[in-house]
Amino acid sequence: MKTGLLMDLLARGAGPAPSPATTQRLGSAWALGLLASAALALLMVGPLPAAAFVKPAPWIKLVYAMSLGWTATLLTAQLARPVARLRCQLLAVAVVFLVMACVAGLSLWQTPPDLRRAAVFGLTWQMCPWLLLALSLPALIAGFWAVRGLAPTRLRAAGFACGLVAGAVGATGYALSCPESSVVFVAVWYSLGMAMTAVLGAVLGPRFLRW
Amino acid sequence: MVPPNDMTDGAPQNDFESSLKPLWLRAQLGDETAYRQSLELIATRLRGFLRRRMQSLPDDVEDLVQETLLALHLQRASYDPTLAVSAWVTAIARHKLIDLWRRRGRRDVLHDALDDVDESLLALVADEGTARRDLLGLLMALPKVQAEAIVMTKLEGLSVAEASARSGVSASAIKVQVHRGLKRLADIVRGSAL
Repeated sequence: MKTGLLMDLLARGAGPAPSPATTQRLGSAWALGLLASAALALLMVGPLPAAAFVKPAPWIKLVYAMSLGWTATLLTAQLARPVARLRCQLLAVAVVFLVMACVAGLSLWQTPPDLRRAAVFGLTWQMCPWLLLALSLPALIAGFWAVRGLAPTRLRAAGFACGLVAGAVGATGYALSCPESSVVFVAVWYSLGMAMTAVLGAVLGPRFLRW
Repeated sequence: MVPPNDMTDGAPQNDFESSLKPLWLRAQLGDETAYRQSLELIATRLRGFLRRRMQSLPDDVEDLVQETLLALHLQRASYDPTLAVSAWVTAIARHKLIDLWRRRGRRDVLHDALDDVDESLLALVADEGTARRDLLGLLMALPKVQAEAIVMTKLEGLSVAEASARSGVSASAIKVQVHRGLKRLADIVRGSAL
């Protein structure tokens, strides 16, 4: 086929370019991922007793996960297009991590030395990051579908950003079930779980984000 | 935004960008003539870009030019008017080229060829090529409604309203079928490992 004919065909009746579907695609992917991870957390681990929500711990987890999810979504939206120009999106993600690290450092400093070990490891440190990773998988799959349709060209970076949001979505779901009450625990093991999901996204990106 | 020395070093590129950008912006708003002209300019540049990087596969250049044009069309929404059109086109072309190498399982060839693509080196290759792959033939392999919608609006040149009247399908459904058909076509083109 002559390329000229293809150009005729593409241009004829092309109409105006549609507006980008970034918000719809990412929004529906995260909504779906969040539903799935919350349902899995409630089914696999069971809900926290209502009394737990009077204490700050679940709210700290939710605020941390949602802030990270939001800033990483801005990063993903940039990387999910052909020419990604990063301005302050990366910085915003870093700030969320840093603020959490500072809060945790402060909290650890105020904890009596003999309780510090318990504050860091809690009772569930061995399963927390893995469970969080597992709860993030639905969001990761949905996020990959969303990003792939938006034409990313830096696939590893886009996969990483997408994985970071998926991790935050998984963490939001897990916060409904997680019995730990220490900020230090959240800063260490939640961050590790989300970072693991991000790395998984970066590994899978070049393979599954091609279009 | 553009470093000063780019103005002299990248002069041909800037010429390209300055002639393409106004056309492209009009095309994005729905000006078909401007769209056709933009595609012509882009295809000419693409041919040079790909020919330089596909010296071991000269016969596949035109196929990839067509695949890239199809991708550009389907991803028009992703163009941000604050960007240089050439940067956007280059990013997509590079992506398609990497994808081609990956499909052929030849990652090793990539490393030095692609890392620093200087857009100012995009040469002009004006001769219009014929691809080996027959997109028209593939078009006929699409589901019937999609193929018909494309043939009526894209090949016979009917308006969406006329196509709707002739086929008894609503105008919005025609548009959807055209889009889905082109998308399916792009998938077929990618899937068929040449």
